[in-house]
Amino acid sequence: MMINSRQVKSSVTGFGIALFLLSAPVLFSGQADKKAPPDPSKVEDTQCVIGLEGIKHGNKGTLSVEGGALHFLKDTKTKAEIPISSITDIYLGNESRQDITGAGKVVTMAIPYGGGRVLSLFSHKVEVMTVEYTDSNGGFHGAIFVLPEGRATPMKDFLVSQGAKTTTHVPAPPEPTQEQKP
Amino acid sequence: MNQLTENAVRYRWTAVLGGVALLLGLSMLGLSVAAAPQQPAQKLSASAIQVLRTQPSEGLTIPEDFRAATYEHLIDELEKTKKFQKVYRDGDRTAASVTDLVTVKLTPEAFKEGSQKKREVTTVSGATSLKINVQFVSKDGKVLLEKSVEGKVRFFGENLGATKDFAKKVAAAVNESF
Repeated sequence: MMINSRQVKSSVTGFGIALFLLSAPVLFSGQADKKAPPDPSKVEDTQCVIGLEGIKHGNKGTLSVEGGALHFLKDTKTKAEIPISSITDIYLGNESRQDITGAGKVVTMAIPYGGGRVLSLFSHKVEVMTVEYTDSNGGFHGAIFVLPEGRATPMKDFLVSQGAKTTTHVPAPPEPTQEQKP
Repeated sequence: MNQLTENAVRYRWTAVLGGVALLLGLSMLGLSVAAAPQQPAQKLSASAIQVLRTQPSEGLTIPEDFRAATYEHLIDELEKTKKFQKVYRDGDRTAASVTDLVTVKLTPEAFKEGSQKKREVTTVSGATSLKINVQFVSKDGKVLLEKSVEGKVRFFGENLGATKDFAKKVAAAVNESF
């Protein structure tokens, strides 16, 4: 029995098309997942650097917003929460207070010796979110979280949309650029 | 004759005892004089302490995460000293009722950014340092103690270490003075 080369080509093409059609839903659903923005109200793999009562410095866990509070959950036994109504300010990265001189004006960076950039808490690139809040007696607290890349701003925005207060901040000064020679 | 001998013996014993008492007295005096310079300065005392947030300082911008870390580390370290029944945070309303409350005021003076990479490679350069003026003030506004404390991270670790180092040094000053 002779097999025609045209018949082979057509059967291979048909098999390819069938394979593509079968795998299309899987392929496209994967792409759709990648494009969907992550849930701003829940960020896993977050490090609590300091400032949460009952949580050891540097513990990792899940940061989430629900029921009018910001929760940090290390495990079922180790957790802490900050009522959103008690949040007085949220800072991202190297942001500073605007009223740093007490005159309510934006100040320029001044470094007494050396340097040329603002002092960073971490030398490697991470997203830091500082949440300032008051306890039931009015006492000030500052909780510092390190979030995965790209997750701090949506989390802050979500907290603000839920009623967290923020003030105007001084952004971190830009990295110094190299002097251009003529 | 016997009477005279008895009197002489009595006088002799009195003189010996007097001499011993004099020597003891002088040696005690000598000891106290020698010990006087070693006596520690009068320690401060307070049942509670309140840490205020860092004061603004002219021309020096410190990111809020750095300020918050410094503040939280200082609260932790002051609690560890166990010198006070309570360590109050800034804004705590319940602190107002403490009659002998001491307030801690923090004013950043200078900082220098180092490099973790340099620290790890050379271990002699790349130190980050943070200098803060620390005032311990009584309820009537009297400055009880003032120090300029420098927090440093010299070798390994993040700049965060400078805030912890600062807090430990303040706690050491508290242990010395309270």
